[in-house]
Amino acid sequence: MRSTAVLAVVSIASLAIPLVAPAYYVTLMLPFMAYGVVLLGLNLLFGYTGLVSFGHALFIGIGAYTGAVLTTHLGVRHMELILPAAGLAAAVVAAPVGALCVRYVKIYFGMLTLAFGMVFYTFLLKFYKLTGGDEGMRMLRPYLLGSEWTGFSKTAYLIGPYYYFSLAVLVLATLLMWRIVRSPFGLCLKTIRDNPLKAESLGVSVPRYRWYAFMISAVYAAVGGALLATPTGNVDPTLAYWTHSGNIVFMVLLGGFGSFFGPLLGAFAFIFLQDTVMSVFPYWRLIFGAVLAFIVIFAPGGLMGLFARHRRPVEVSRA
Amino acid sequence: MTANLVNILMGGVFHAAILFLVAAGLQVVFGVQKIFNLACGSFYALGAYTGVSAVGYFTGHGGPPALFIIPLALGGLAVGLVGVVVERGLLRFVYDRDETFQLLLTFALVLMLEDLIRMTWGTAPVSTGGLYLSYGQARILGATVPVYNLIVIAASLAIAIGIGWLLSRTVFGRIIRASADNREMAEALGVDMRWVYVRVFTLGTMLGTLGGALVIPATAAMSEMGIELIVEAFAVVVIGGLGSMRGAFVGALVVGVLRSVAISVYPELEMLLIYLIVIAVLLWRPRGLFGAAAA
Amino acid sequence: MILEALDIRKLYGAYVALDGVSLSIREGEFVSIIGPNGAGKSTLINVLTGVLQPSAGSVRFKGKDIGGIGTVALTRLGMARSFQLVQIFPELTVLETLQAAAISRLGRGARLFTSLAGDSQVQADALEVASLFGLSGKAHALARELPQGDKKLLDVASAFALRPEIILLDEPTSGVSTADKHAIMEILVGAAKRIGLRAIIQVEHDMDIVFGYSDRIIALHQGKVLADATPAEIEADAKVVDMVVGRRRAPHPALSPEGRGNPEPPTPLGGENAEPSPPMGERAG
Repeated sequence: MRSTAVLAVVSIASLAIPLVAPAYYVTLMLPFMAYGVVLLGLNLLFGYTGLVSFGHALFIGIGAYTGAVLTTHLGVRHMELILPAAGLAAAVVAAPVGALCVRYVKIYFGMLTLAFGMVFYTFLLKFYKLTGGDEGMRMLRPYLLGSEWTGFSKTAYLIGPYYYFSLAVLVLATLLMWRIVRSPFGLCLKTIRDNPLKAESLGVSVPRYRWYAFMISAVYAAVGGALLATPTGNVDPTLAYWTHSGNIVFMVLLGGFGSFFGPLLGAFAFIFLQDTVMSVFPYWRLIFGAVLAFIVIFAPGGLMGLFARHRRPVEVSRA
Repeated sequence: MTANLVNILMGGVFHAAILFLVAAGLQVVFGVQKIFNLACGSFYALGAYTGVSAVGYFTGHGGPPALFIIPLALGGLAVGLVGVVVERGLLRFVYDRDETFQLLLTFALVLMLEDLIRMTWGTAPVSTGGLYLSYGQARILGATVPVYNLIVIAASLAIAIGIGWLLSRTVFGRIIRASADNREMAEALGVDMRWVYVRVFTLGTMLGTLGGALVIPATAAMSEMGIELIVEAFAVVVIGGLGSMRGAFVGALVVGVLRSVAISVYPELEMLLIYLIVIAVLLWRPRGLFGAAAA
Repeated sequence: MILEALDIRKLYGAYVALDGVSLSIREGEFVSIIGPNGAGKSTLINVLTGVLQPSAGSVRFKGKDIGGIGTVALTRLGMARSFQLVQIFPELTVLETLQAAAISRLGRGARLFTSLAGDSQVQADALEVASLFGLSGKAHALARELPQGDKKLLDVASAFALRPEIILLDEPTSGVSTADKHAIMEILVGAAKRIGLRAIIQVEHDMDIVFGYSDRIIALHQGKVLADATPAEIEADAKVVDMVVGRRRAPHPALSPEGRGNPEPPTPLGGENAEPSPPMGERAG
């Protein structure tokens, strides 16, 4: 079937890329994979539960800074510890923040999350003794599968072991999210997105489920954040700035919100488009703004929406 | 001691005067079109850069520096007319869409304007140089306050009164209030909403660009000023209440003065304090001081 | 006595929406609440379903005070409702809608990692309700693409899928053509008997429906109970007829006992045909 064929091609390609593609493009795949993880979580909140957060970068920042603090100050270098720690830190913050935010909808939710994101940004910026201020903090090369990969140069590390590690994390994250959206829980989220009043009348506690979705998406964002920080080796407060939150919402919309693979497509398109545009024209924001405007006005279903229109109408099992 | 206090207060009120202009623009657009314009900060930035250029052109062509405030204000106002293009060219396509999409469209505007400004003026800060103190300084209770600041405060106050008069005494104002209250009813009574929308949006934009222009002498036009201001403007409208002019006025005073106090007492706090207040307001009284009942 | 309202008062500022309404619903009853617009019917439904806290008085469901406990808690207790303006999940299919109700009933909403498709109990449950409501053929249709009558049915069916003990229907046939109304009511009553509903309360404007199906009619007027009696007694009460019911034409043929092919009066829900309702312990997972 078509989807298995696509999946097979994508799998083979992603495994082969470090072997066949130039190093530059392989290193571009790294932020794509990191954002892929972030967006899988954000889409749960946005596409499946219907909440638009303008402060989600807060959790990317938490994940990134967890990685930095653990490697630089606490001597913890194993990625297998860093990623769960990042997730845990995010969950700890997301629990109270989410509990407060999910009682509000639409624009008020957006505003509250924006405010929380900026609180964290300001904290990161101003408390420089703790956080390194606007220069940020370094993140040392994490150990993968127990090894420091000492023989590897920075590039070799990134396009080799780190690439495959990130890929594994992305695949795991995807499989996990796949199960979540196809679970009874996932269906409940969709009811909340579609009609909160009706959902309540069927016994689905809207604030509680939104809270769960918020926390899960925060954990994903933090794991992605830690992955994002490693290649650059540095984390700084701009990771939590509100425009960063806006950009990731843009990525979800670009790919197609509400569809499962849309966000991954969106991350891929954004990263590679940004790279392509920047190499010819420094004003990529102008182009991207225009693209976003175009999508909002003419193609709200994003790239996945455009592909779907060309499909034959098939009775797709929507379970 | 008093001098210090007066300085802090006057600094805060000056900042509040500017914030009011931008927030008023935000409020009038939200009130009528129910759109939260994330790009209001970008218009502010646009006004700032245009103001600098206008002043530069003016003084460069022999205009007396003492009159710099005229090209400054006019430049700021004139560039606000770009609101017509934005409304007719972009915004009008999303009036029937979900709030989320409207918000994202204004975010698209933020991105585009940010780069358009970079393209036109570059990334280095630009300013009006020493013109700031052209009007001298006044002594108030032992503190030294630039007369320019007082002029701007007075102007902002005049505009606030003007808006109040516009809304309550003119036909246009009544149409604005009616449309804000109940769009369908206004339409049923014969109001052409397209006409209203483009005018309201342009008014909002012009207030923002004017605010940006007027702040320039005291600071400089810098590349991130737009996206930084939006969070302050957003704090103002949350505290004051979405859609309310009175809210913009009071909110601006609260944010402006508090920020001024925070900077002098504990600089790390600055915006942190403001955001915490925003969060507190959103949690305890989402409609702010003067807003309509919350969603 | 399943549901009891004791002297309910609801004020909105100075406006008195409900002014001392008392009623009781007993086992097996089909009760219709009628009244002109503004009489307080919707407010009463919202108070009875725990959405609104009454300004005074109390509501007792199965002996327990439920004032303002909220919709979710009330569904756990065994009460469900449908809406006057049809409420569906536009992007979900018919089957998914019913599955959501089944998940809620079985308490499986917190299951994040199990497959919904693999949950045979939820699947079977949803399919059963679908067939009760004649929606089996449209199981995979998107809710927003259904014709209006089917949307109404889906709204009610999903409430039924909670297997409540009592259901409140807010104008179950509004917005539906006359011919469809009777079909819907027949399906409703049939399904109610099948799942063992203990009582049905409806707000309804169509008097043919009201008189054709109710065991008892409660007439509201300006926030007060004007009459609370059997259809025959109501019909005989000229004052009520004048103020609320209006003059009646001959009932639609489909509704008369002969038309329905059933010469007996409507059987109470607790009749021999009903399934026993599940004991309380089975409700939540």
